Formats: sequence, C-alpha cells, structure tokens
Amino acid sequence: MSGFGQAFRIAAELVSSLLVGLGIGWGLDEWLGTKPWLLILFFFLGAAAGMLNVYRATKGYGLAVGYRKHGNDDDAQR
Amino acid sequence: MAESNGHSPLDQFKIAKLHELQVAGLDVSITNSTVVMVLAVVLVTLFLTMGVRRRSMVPGRWQAMAEMSYEFVGNMIRDNVGNEGRRFFPFIFTLFMFVLFGNLLGLVPYSFTFTSHLAVTAALAVLVIVLVTAVGLVLHGLHFFSFFVPKGVPIVMMPLMVPIEIISYLSRPVSLSIRLFANMMAGHTMMKVFAGFVVTLGAATYGVGAIAPLAMSVALTGFELLVAFLQAYVFTVLTCLYLNDAIHLH
Repeated sequence: MSGFGQAFRIAAELVSSLLVGLGIGWGLDEWLGTKPWLLILFFFLGAAAGMLNVYRATKGYGLAVGYRKHGNDDDAQR
Repeated sequence: MAESNGHSPLDQFKIAKLHELQVAGLDVSITNSTVVMVLAVVLVTLFLTMGVRRRSMVPGRWQAMAEMSYEFVGNMIRDNVGNEGRRFFPFIFTLFMFVLFGNLLGLVPYSFTFTSHLAVTAALAVLVIVLVTAVGLVLHGLHFFSFFVPKGVPIVMMPLMVPIEIISYLSRPVSLSIRLFANMMAGHTMMKVFAGFVVTLGAATYGVGAIAPLAMSVALTGFELLVAFLQAYVFTVLTCLYLNDAIHLH
C-alpha cells in the first residue's frame, strides 16, 4: 500500500471509532434519558478504541480485535 | 466553482431520477446511480463469460485478463484467509469486481461514480460485516463473543476494555465505507477542479495558463486509475482480514 493510502487508512480508523462511540453514546442517552453523560463517556471510549485501532494497524496486527497476531502464538502471551 | 449554471465540481455526484418508480411505498426510482450499477454488473458478467468462452490452453488477451482477475482474488483469499476461505470466493470475487468496475466506470467522462456515495459503500460494508459476524457465530457459536475479551488484560480492566473492543469492532464497517467513498469523492472532485482551471485560466491568459492545469489533469487521471484499483483492492483485502478473524477465532 502506498504511503498516502496507509496514512488515509490510519486516519479513517481513528475517525470511524470516534464516530461509532459518539453514535452509541448519543443513542443510549436518547433511550435512557441520561443526557449528556453517556455521550461523554462513549466519546472517550470511542477515542480509546480509535487509538487502539491505529496502534494495531501500525504495529501490523491488521485490524484484528484482540491483541493476538494470527498464526503467531507467542504474541498471545503479551 | 462559484458558477451556478451546473458546472460545480460537485455536480457530478448529483443523483438524477431517470424513471420514477414506487414499490410498496418505497422510492425505488431508477437513477443514474442504478443505471451505472446495472451496467457494472452487466460488464463484469460479459467480461468473464466472454473471456472464458473459448478456454484455450494458451489464453488470448481477454481470457488472460479474466484469468488474472480470478487468480488475483484467489491468491488474496489464500494469503489472508487460508483454505477455509475458499467457499467465500464467490462473494469476495463479486465484491471486488463490483467495486472495481464501479470505480473504473466512474472514470469514463459523463459517467457516474456510484462508489463515491456513502449510501452505496455503507450498504456494501454493512453487508460484509453482517456476513462476517454471521460466519463467526455459525462457526463458533457463543464462543464468538470471546473475540471482545482481550487476553492478558487484568480482570479489573475488563469493564473498560470490553466496550472499547466492541466499539473497535463496530467501527470496521464505518471505516471500510468511509475509506472507499472519501477516496473516490476526493479524487473525482480534484479532477473536476483542475479540469475547470483549464478553461478559466486558459481563457484569461490566451491559453498559456491552461498548460499547467491540463498537465495536472492528465497526471490526476492516471492517479485516479491507480486509486480505482487500489481502493477496490483495499476494500476486498480488509473483507478477507475480517473474514479471517471470524473463521480463525483465537
């Protein structure tokens, strides 16, 4: 993948998790009537998930959920 | 760009209804987007069926191209999913060819790029993620949810880590669709902007100013061809990676 493509992928990764977190927070707030607390909570969770995704993408873990790299059980022990 | 007479660089993304159609209260009108989608399906079908019609031992150019696209996707699945991924070949191959032809057809002047619409790419991404999740659930049952429990994390951290993992999982279709749509939209907007400069700058400077934007337009067309392939490839390869996750649950 080209450097540009890689950079774009990382950026999309970071933003999309944040969007999903915000969406979940907003939806739960609407449902439970707890405005704005869950939105705030899920904003941070989404940001954390985005950074986790970026970390995994740059470390070459692919986009696997979980810390384990495929076909390499040594990584499972970290 | 400020002209209001239909020459804005964003005009190319407008959906135009060609034929009004209502089915059960739903608007299923035939638009320029639908037409190009159908055209893509027809062209892919023709490309493959005509390509392998003769089936010679020494393939001609057309047959070689058809075989190459088959092998390309086949290798991609073998490398990223392994042998178990074989039964998903029809799905992944269809996905790849559809996105690729959508991207390429968009490069034809006066055509329409359906992959530059979030509605289209999001529908594709949701299809992928629902399929992948269903595969995971069918193969592993409830064990699939161990996916969201990272190993080697202290139990105290679990209430924090599990929601983060779930968000991370749910962000996949979002990033998958945003990546394709944003790349196509940005590229095509840029092409139109530079092509617009050819006219406006050229008219203002007796044609001298048109040289640089024209050269840029040529370069961008080549670049867009690359992006069309690259994004179709990225979309498919990520689908393979997600499928791999679901099949080989750790």
